[in-house]
Amino acid sequence: MKKKILPNLSIEQNILIATLSIVMIVLLITSSVYYAVFTYRTDSLVESQSREINKQIVLNYESYINSVIETAHYIQYASLNLDVKDSYEKLQDVFLYNSEIKKDVVSLFLFDEEGNKLLGNDLNSVVIYHIAENEWFQNGVTEKAIFHFSAPHSQSVSLNRNEVIISVSRFVEFTYKGIKKSGVILIELNFRTLTDLAEKTNLGEGGHILILNDDDSLIYHSGKGYKEGFPESLQIAVEHYLGGFRTKIGNKEMFININTLIHTRWRIVTVNNINEIALARQQILLILLFIIIISFFVTTTVSLVISSRISRPMNELKKTMFKVENRDFNTKVEVTGQKEVVRLAKSFNSMVEEIRKLMKEVVSEQREKRKTELKALQNQINPHFLYNTLDSIVWLAENERSDDVVTTVIALARFFRISISKGETFIPVKDEISHIRNYLTIQKIRYVDKFEYKFIVEPEIYEYKVMKLILQPIVENAIYHGIGDETEKITIKAYKKDDFLIFEVENSGYGITEERIEEIYKVLKGTHSKSSVGMRNVYLRLKLFYGEEADIKISSILDEMTCITLFIPAESHYIKEP
Amino acid sequence: MKYICLPVLFLLLIASCSRGGKSASLFLYNMKDPYVRTFGNQIKSESSQIFEMQIFDSQNSQIIQNEFIENQIDSAHIMLINPVDRLGAYSIIKKLKSVNMPVIFFNREPLFEDLEIWDQAYYVGARAEQSGQIQAEMLMELFGDDGENLNKYDRNGNDIIETVILKGEQGHQDAETRTSEVLRTFTENHFRLDILITEVANWNRDEAFEKMKQILDRYSEDIELVISNNDAMALGAISLMTQEGFFRDSNENGRIDKDDSSWLPVVGIDGLIEAVNSINEGFLYGTVINDSRLQAKAIAELADFLCSGKDLKGMNYPLDRGKYIWIDYKVFQ
Repeated sequence: MKKKILPNLSIEQNILIATLSIVMIVLLITSSVYYAVFTYRTDSLVESQSREINKQIVLNYESYINSVIETAHYIQYASLNLDVKDSYEKLQDVFLYNSEIKKDVVSLFLFDEEGNKLLGNDLNSVVIYHIAENEWFQNGVTEKAIFHFSAPHSQSVSLNRNEVIISVSRFVEFTYKGIKKSGVILIELNFRTLTDLAEKTNLGEGGHILILNDDDSLIYHSGKGYKEGFPESLQIAVEHYLGGFRTKIGNKEMFININTLIHTRWRIVTVNNINEIALARQQILLILLFIIIISFFVTTTVSLVISSRISRPMNELKKTMFKVENRDFNTKVEVTGQKEVVRLAKSFNSMVEEIRKLMKEVVSEQREKRKTELKALQNQINPHFLYNTLDSIVWLAENERSDDVVTTVIALARFFRISISKGETFIPVKDEISHIRNYLTIQKIRYVDKFEYKFIVEPEIYEYKVMKLILQPIVENAIYHGIGDETEKITIKAYKKDDFLIFEVENSGYGITEERIEEIYKVLKGTHSKSSVGMRNVYLRLKLFYGEEADIKISSILDEMTCITLFIPAESHYIKEP
Repeated sequence: MKYICLPVLFLLLIASCSRGGKSASLFLYNMKDPYVRTFGNQIKSESSQIFEMQIFDSQNSQIIQNEFIENQIDSAHIMLINPVDRLGAYSIIKKLKSVNMPVIFFNREPLFEDLEIWDQAYYVGARAEQSGQIQAEMLMELFGDDGENLNKYDRNGNDIIETVILKGEQGHQDAETRTSEVLRTFTENHFRLDILITEVANWNRDEAFEKMKQILDRYSEDIELVISNNDAMALGAISLMTQEGFFRDSNENGRIDKDDSSWLPVVGIDGLIEAVNSINEGFLYGTVINDSRLQAKAIAELADFLCSGKDLKGMNYPLDRGKYIWIDYKVFQ
């Protein structure tokens, strides 16, 4: 047995689930792919951009420092090739020229090993003592192979200078009176030039540049308004030494780059604000979410509309089918919508129509069959009646009661004439009444006046037509059931009341109980098997020919009388013979 | 479950296999420099049994090198660095110390105090001063080993050698050292040199060619010796000099004889293949081989010892001050 996983779902649910899941899956996949690609791209873009910015800044510094070093090399080269003593003027010109042409070079000096000044642009204002005690001098002498860059300070060797400077020093060899000597050159750089280089760069809001010395102390930071510098980014730079990475400073996404600066032990730290990218990512996420929600609703609405357009006619069809199930064949579906459903509805309608026709045919066929049967029944003359009547006539003749014989024979003849009535089913009320009269005449003679009878008939109903032989079985019943020790009285009334012809047959006698009346009703309606052929015959004929309006009622008063009343629609005589 | 386990195991097996070989990252200061390019390839081939080696060209930019180093920190077991800027090594050493990465520098020497920061930082190289000394020794032999009485190569017979110096990049540590050492050695051995001119040709053959043109214009007759800081400049000078009538094959034996009057001693350093060829043809008098193959061998061995945690005393090379392996220069003439 295959296990049923999904419950039976309606068309609406099916369509809704299918479209919704397709749309949602596709949307989720595409949006997550899009978001992932976007994130990846922006990430790498941000990284490469920040690195590029850092590189550019470092390169700016590098080219600046290279130019300083070139100057130093040139001076070194000149002092080695030209004799400091012999070509003093010429060399002094070189020093002057180089410090003049470069705005950032504050001063330019050559000292010998003892710290005595030999050459320089501002010789007269130079302090004479303790040159050799300066850190830049010491460094130059001890580590001869490299240039030494000091931290920014304002202790220029020139007395008339007070700007913030960086001292660049290096061990050099020079020629003095043809002899090679060693010393130290000093280049003092205006620190402003370095800071200007940094300030040109746009690093976004909160972005900044730090320059760290080899002992991780801050040489420079680009935040003008920040007195305390940037302790957070300084901390990070000190911890990481080198490299580029993403980090958070405060609540802002930043990209930090740490690089070395050529010819120095300095590190340049750039901190880029990439918060905007993070915001853009958030925006994208929101937009994607919005799109997903909107499409969820749109898809739901559209699929509900479509599915209801499909299922509404189906539901209508279903309702009609229910009606048909309950045997209402007169309904028709009026369906608009999908072609298929309309076609289905049309087929259904014609099917119902066909069924209805067929049923009608069957019913009428059945009715006809019944009518024919009943006609045959009514046309039958009870042979017993005939025997008995003939016996009575014989008996009358033997007793020489010729008048009675004549009466009886005439009555019998009339009785039969009306019974036959040229094959007509409906006859005028007066004929029916006279038929009963003849019948009673015969029976009275036969039962030797055991009963008496009287007619109370409104003459105006004489011409109404009524089904023939409808009263005779009732009267026959009345005679049989009423005859007893006392002379029975039979009263036959016929009148018109409210579009109904009413025939009452009342006989005196013991009457019958309520229970018996109920039983008789049941017999009439065929729900009881006990046969009471005469009455039931009348009942069936009434219903068959007059429809549901016609009826029989039985009433009785115990020890007094029983009354059978027939209700026949007065207009029904217009009904043509079917 | 079984079906999943198998491929997973297989993958793990592959992963563990590939991790078996250690990876080393090699950073060269500039692959355009033929010497350094050869050097790099030698290091790679010498250590091919031990390491999965990746070579990075820093394109003569410390920034680029920094970025390469940063990117390789996670994947390399050891770094072999030819720094672009010797002071840049300071921050690199600090960074590598923080990630516990052993490092061997070569070809450009960081400061000793910087190497001392990290006990897994080493330098393998040749002493620049030695190359100058060897260059001088080779030349003193040519001039007859006696500073007071020079032989015929002292053309004007004044017992002073009139010398032109072709210097590498001004301020470059090697250029300075080589120049000062060659001169110091001469002086120490009582040879007198007259430096006609010291011309900076930035290690470059073409630049040396151009500079030599100007030098010959001024000193053509006086020059007795050309000392170059490297082979490339020496070869540049020789091409110009050949063009100007030096180095003639007067006896047409297919080789330049140093007895020929048109011959001048030119010496270089490095031992480039072109220099060796030039020596064989008789142009270049000699060169000092900065034996990169030997250095590469030393680097490979040191790297192997560092990675496998062996005691460095077991190496074929002695460690100087716990930091340096020195490879001697060799004469080639």
